Amino acid sequence: MTFKLAVTGGKGGTGKTVVAVNLAAALSSEFKVLLVDADVDGPSTTALLRARMRHTEEVRIFKPVIDPSTCKACGRCAEVCREHALAYAKGVTPILFEELCSGCKACLLACEYGAIREGWRVLGYIHEGEAGSIQLRVGELKPGEARSPIVARALKVKVERELNGYDVVVIDTAPGIHNAVVQALWGVDLALAVTEPTPLGLHDLRILLDLLDELKIKAWVVLNKSDIPGGLREEVVEECRRRGLELAVEIPYDQELFEAYVRGEPLIESRIETPAQRALLDLALKVEREVKP
Amino acid sequence: MKELVIASGKGGTGKTTVASSLAYLLNSRRKLIAVDADVDAPDLLLALGGGELLEERAIEASEKARVDSELCDGCGACVNACPYGAMVVEGGKAKVYTYLCEGCGVCTLVCPKGAVKVEPYVTGMLTAQRTKHGFTVITGRLKAGEHNSGKLVSAAKEMARKRAEAEGAELVIVDAAPGIGCPVIASLSGASYVVAVAEPTPTSRRNLMRLVEVARHFNTPVGLVLNKADLSGEYARQMEEWALLELKIPLLAELPVDYEAVRALAEMKTPVELNPKSKISYALTLLADRVEEELARL
Repeated sequence: MTFKLAVTGGKGGTGKTVVAVNLAAALSSEFKVLLVDADVDGPSTTALLRARMRHTEEVRIFKPVIDPSTCKACGRCAEVCREHALAYAKGVTPILFEELCSGCKACLLACEYGAIREGWRVLGYIHEGEAGSIQLRVGELKPGEARSPIVARALKVKVERELNGYDVVVIDTAPGIHNAVVQALWGVDLALAVTEPTPLGLHDLRILLDLLDELKIKAWVVLNKSDIPGGLREEVVEECRRRGLELAVEIPYDQELFEAYVRGEPLIESRIETPAQRALLDLALKVEREVKP
Repeated sequence: MKELVIASGKGGTGKTTVASSLAYLLNSRRKLIAVDADVDAPDLLLALGGGELLEERAIEASEKARVDSELCDGCGACVNACPYGAMVVEGGKAKVYTYLCEGCGVCTLVCPKGAVKVEPYVTGMLTAQRTKHGFTVITGRLKAGEHNSGKLVSAAKEMARKRAEAEGAELVIVDAAPGIGCPVIASLSGASYVVAVAEPTPTSRRNLMRLVEVARHFNTPVGLVLNKADLSGEYARQMEEWALLELKIPLLAELPVDYEAVRALAEMKTPVELNPKSKISYALTLLADRVEEELARL
């Protein structure tokens, strides 16, 4: 069985991608690892890994193409479209507003005259590549498009088909708790909630942990920048205790981590030993024990 | 009325610190309303020290499928047709995974028994709260796992516009969600000016580029705030030059790394309020002046 791990966190900028990339790098010495970047609004694993990308496929969705010669201008398609993407005026073939269309095919199903044929448009991309021995799949929303969940779902469906070749799949999610995050979290064995000890980090962590609880996904908390002065470390520890969750690791603030980030290298590959590097390796060991108990 | 949006492609770059500080600083010069449009993780009020509740409203921004199990015979037509994988048949009856359902209604069209209906669904809450600084903050709060956060953002902005008119405010400051998806597009629609907050890292650089691309769709001018600018000196310099020459956006301010900013967050105050003499407060005050100039020029 492939072990599926999500790295998420509620708040933006807490260190999700840094944790995901370093975990993938650490686990890749022992396992076959697939790293999935499901932050389709702002995918950034490639920039952190100096990845080599070799293939890109489009994420396409259905769009209706209406044949005016068969269309009876009954307006049924516009009536069933809940996104109001089809504008209908009495007696005239409806007009499509592409950016509103979600590609659900309700219009296609509703048309009684076969006047709608299946067209498509591009909503985003899935890139394939690798960094060292880590295989990488990256979802990317096309700028100007709004439907991140569809791209996240297309990415997950593709990954599901590839699962057999891997021991561990590490999924880096978008910040937040919206549908695209749920798509990324769906069906994982363990979610790491990466947070920081600030009122904002704590507030967003609580929202995220409520979501994970409802989705019945096992959660570990990762406290990043744990030693920032005036931080709310105690409150985060207490939150974990209250919920009976494991505080898997505390990662202290580390300038070397930041510099490795700017250079585009996983910190764990840096030869300089720092407390943050040790913490990331500790986390990798803990995860390893979950992968092969 | 002008609308100033604080956005960033990447999370955690300092949007909320910039938004709360601009609201705090510009409030002394003109009447304004702030909007927290980061509906997934609404933090703006936390950064401003909370507020007194004026108004609260549930928003039904989406619709969800519901199965009438009396009528359902478990044929699975809906499962095959659902484009979001939101339907399953369990124990001979169809069931909806509400988290995945987008309410498109395809299931209602294919069900031979007429057992599926699509109904309005509460996806979030809007609140209006008065801060101790005197101005009002409108907060959108998305229910976990929901979509259509764009509609919630639009509703929050609508509430802000109405209040602004009633209170005679001339400026609406919007703290946007990270990314470039649905809620950000709703935040940028109708904006007068975008303050893009970035940090000197490769990931932030990429995401800034994507954000500027979206702002261009709306023909909205963008200015850059480079936060934590002194963290990686050379890279910061290169990034500013690139923003100016390639993205054609001016640098509004550089903000330094300063633990006074972290301490301010921990005390739920804006940095200027906590310590007006700190490095970060000085930089934020200059930023407020610069934003004022940009707004005057529109």
